[in-house]
Amino acid sequence: MVHQDYKEMIPARALSALDAAEAHALNDHLADCEECRSELQEWEATAAAMAVSANPMEPSPKVRERILDEIRNESKSEVIPFRSATRNIWTSFGSLGAIAAVILVTALIAGLVVLWRQNNARGIELAQSKEFLELATTPGAKVMRLDGVDRGAGSSAKLVYDKTGHAMLMADKLPNVPEGKAYQLWFIVGKNPPMPGKTFMPDDTGKGMLKDQVPETAMDSAVFAITIEPVGGVDAPTGPIYLRSSAIN
Amino acid sequence: MKAIAARDEMALAQLYDRYRVILFGLLMRILGNREEAEDVLQEVFLQVWRKADDFDETRGRPFTWLVTLGRSRGIDRLRTLASRERVAEAGAREASEEVSDAASDAFRSEQRGLVNTALAQLPDEQKGPLMLAYFDGLTQSEIATHLGAPLGTVKTRMRTGLIRLREMLAGQGESFGF
Repeated sequence: MVHQDYKEMIPARALSALDAAEAHALNDHLADCEECRSELQEWEATAAAMAVSANPMEPSPKVRERILDEIRNESKSEVIPFRSATRNIWTSFGSLGAIAAVILVTALIAGLVVLWRQNNARGIELAQSKEFLELATTPGAKVMRLDGVDRGAGSSAKLVYDKTGHAMLMADKLPNVPEGKAYQLWFIVGKNPPMPGKTFMPDDTGKGMLKDQVPETAMDSAVFAITIEPVGGVDAPTGPIYLRSSAIN
Repeated sequence: MKAIAARDEMALAQLYDRYRVILFGLLMRILGNREEAEDVLQEVFLQVWRKADDFDETRGRPFTWLVTLGRSRGIDRLRTLASRERVAEAGAREASEEVSDAASDAFRSEQRGLVNTALAQLPDEQKGPLMLAYFDGLTQSEIATHLGAPLGTVKTRMRTGLIRLREMLAGQGESFGF
């Protein structure tokens, strides 16, 4: 196929109406064609206008409450450990004790900073490995291996996720990404369009780490894949697959 | 979106308040079931909260991102339901007429009128495949089978229809927030 053939496929792609083989071929072309990527954005905007033709409807007020409750719970779970630790220190020691505690904590932090500077990269890697292991050993956790294919040959990654979908990916020997690009994770269930995950950048040694949330529909039977996409990610893959998964437990 | 990425709950609430009616209408059109549509609506906004920092404003407007995300999740849920046993289609069409006055008032009816007018001007042979693709998530091959038409004909009609739709909506992008 030539450029014009791909251009004619773009409107159908904006409607997610291409058959799998055509979608795959167009994705490969989009990875290398800025003009077609730009055109796809315009067609997606036109397709999005069709949503307006549906009758507007008011959801239950409970939906708004549930969403806000959920994000507040997520926020709490992110900060509670730090708040608790701070409160315990101050209430336990009183004012003089607090000063001593500050000195002690400052000294500890200074020591940690020195250690961190000495062995920063290794420390981060160890912490990530520990976190990965902890997640992998939670009841019901699944671990997937992703192997490099085609342009990603030689690279590998492991992805672990628990029963709630909290996932962590650690990749190795990743090829460098071109400027303005990043690796993006995808969840593929059957013949459905791939569901987008987050993006990540590898370090200078080709190692990469990503934390993401596995969609509910992808928890049981998804194939996990990684492509190179524009920084910030895209809703549908535009580049070839660099790594893809196979179950190892 | 930047405020949401910075974990501003009010910004997410405002985004929800602005788009909930159009997105819920879209999801009801796709799923035809209030409970499922509300569940997907919740998923969509939670995903917006978790992935707002992935939004690239140079690649499109929040409206397009949000609607594309909502439709994608709606079609995913539709296929999941179809694998169990699809929600009764007749019920879906009736339910989609349950529009509250408040919702109608809140919704920018002028914009909806523009899109519906444009769609109404398309011949049925072009409009039909577009609607089957957008709201039912069918591929071109599935549409050809569904309509009993040659695949090449369906491809041409869909492409021509979407081109005409874009032409008729040209210049309306700003007012739509596309």
